[in-house]
Amino acid sequence: MTQLTEKKNSLLIKLTLWALTTVVLLPFLWLIKTAGPNYLKNVSDLFHAQDGIALVWLKNSAVFTLGTLAITVLSSITAGFVMAILDIPFRKTMIVITLVTMLIPITAMAMPLYVLVDQVHLNDTIFGLILASSYYPFGAFLSYLYFTSAMPSDLVGMGRVDGLGDLGLYWHLGIPLSKSLWSIVTFFSFISLWNSYQLPKVLLSDPMHSTLPMGVELLFGNGTAIVGVMMLIPVVGLYLLSQRSIERGIFSGAVKG
Amino acid sequence: MSKRRIKLAPIVMIAPYLMAMFFCGIIPLISSILEVRNPSWVNLDGGYSTIFKILGDFRVIPALWHTFFLIAIFVPLMIVFILAISLLLDATPMRGNTFMRLVLLLPGIVAGGIAVMIWKTLLGPDIEWTTGNIRWLIGGISFTSGVGSWIVIQYGSLRSISHEVLEAARVDGCNRLQLALRIKLPMIGRYIGYMTILLIVGAIQIYTEPTLLMSTGLTTDWSLSQVAYSYAFRTGDFPGATALALDMLIPNIILAIIFIRRTDFLKRGDRH
Repeated sequence: MTQLTEKKNSLLIKLTLWALTTVVLLPFLWLIKTAGPNYLKNVSDLFHAQDGIALVWLKNSAVFTLGTLAITVLSSITAGFVMAILDIPFRKTMIVITLVTMLIPITAMAMPLYVLVDQVHLNDTIFGLILASSYYPFGAFLSYLYFTSAMPSDLVGMGRVDGLGDLGLYWHLGIPLSKSLWSIVTFFSFISLWNSYQLPKVLLSDPMHSTLPMGVELLFGNGTAIVGVMMLIPVVGLYLLSQRSIERGIFSGAVKG
Repeated sequence: MSKRRIKLAPIVMIAPYLMAMFFCGIIPLISSILEVRNPSWVNLDGGYSTIFKILGDFRVIPALWHTFFLIAIFVPLMIVFILAISLLLDATPMRGNTFMRLVLLLPGIVAGGIAVMIWKTLLGPDIEWTTGNIRWLIGGISFTSGVGSWIVIQYGSLRSISHEVLEAARVDGCNRLQLALRIKLPMIGRYIGYMTILLIVGAIQIYTEPTLLMSTGLTTDWSLSQVAYSYAFRTGDFPGATALALDMLIPNIILAIIFIRRTDFLKRGDRH
């Protein structure tokens, strides 16, 4: 009797989810259709139009995203580990600043950053944009939350007994235990950089230095759809790659049954 | 070992992050606070009273109402939707689970310009946009683009609840709904709080959606961020712009304090 209702409920849940998925998916099928059946040819046409400016945007976006990603992922996860596990002066202060700066409107940060970047003569360059985007408190805070629950003090103590120093603790315990964290921080940092709009709009002015999300504004119709699909491809790829570890749960600890 | 001394390794490890924090977080914040002292169009004498005087701008009050509208209608909708879908995804093992989360992510990972194009096409050319209804479009776009990544995160946090706990509740006779409401939600409470704050902060700062809809002529200076940018880049009034941006920071700080108080997240060690 209860088993029957259980089954019925499961079916209901599945139907609800599939219906929702279909509704969300439809506009993207339309987007792919608009991008054209000869997608690759359309892309190459777009890349040849107007002296290949779309190709330049793609290159700018790739350089900016990958360059910044390397910095944000490494620095924020390591920082999260240090703040959660190691002894360091001003630990609490750092955590509070991380949380507070995460809440500052980009509007408040963008203008001083513009001035700062201008002062070191990196105005309107991708390199300047990379430096200005290299702070990723969201990742550091997520890592902090992760390490506090994934590495309980018993485990850290055992590592110490085995003679691990601070670096060794990170290398031999922290990193191996945090594969899912690396996936999720990389993934979210990638999305926010790849789609980043506000800061590039303030820091970059020359259309030749634009990134794809800014360039899209200058295109219309078919061109927008082509770039739209182009922007989806790496994200879908990265999602599928990172999925296995995300699937296991971001916040699952090391000492769980 | 008995003497506690400052060790070098942790400082070296955290140094790159601290440098980024310093140059991209602390310095901009301080220079913002200093910038406000300079004379602004709304306060020719300069000084910190600009922070209050800026609120008298005729564009600020409507922008505030738009923000309240988003926080009152769309943020709660997003929270309920995110938690409902995450719980449903977690409730029963099913094929296509990964695919579904990917599809729900899609609206959030297309650049804003493309999202606007999709929405306009979906809604058709017959809708006449007015200052009264465009807020629903802005809310709709931010809803669809915002929920996907939080579903991924909350689904992840639900998956991390230990099996024993869930099994024990089931043995006690919890059905699926009770399990979701009484066991699972309280256990991921910290992440729900964190998400709520970031969603509210996002609504206060909203910029991309109204800016992309500016071609309709209805959303210039629609949000507080846009008004701040108008000060900075249209009238060159940086002190005014910064004062408004700092005003936007105040509710965020209050939220952060509540969050810190409520969740004792500064405590180290094995909490779950």
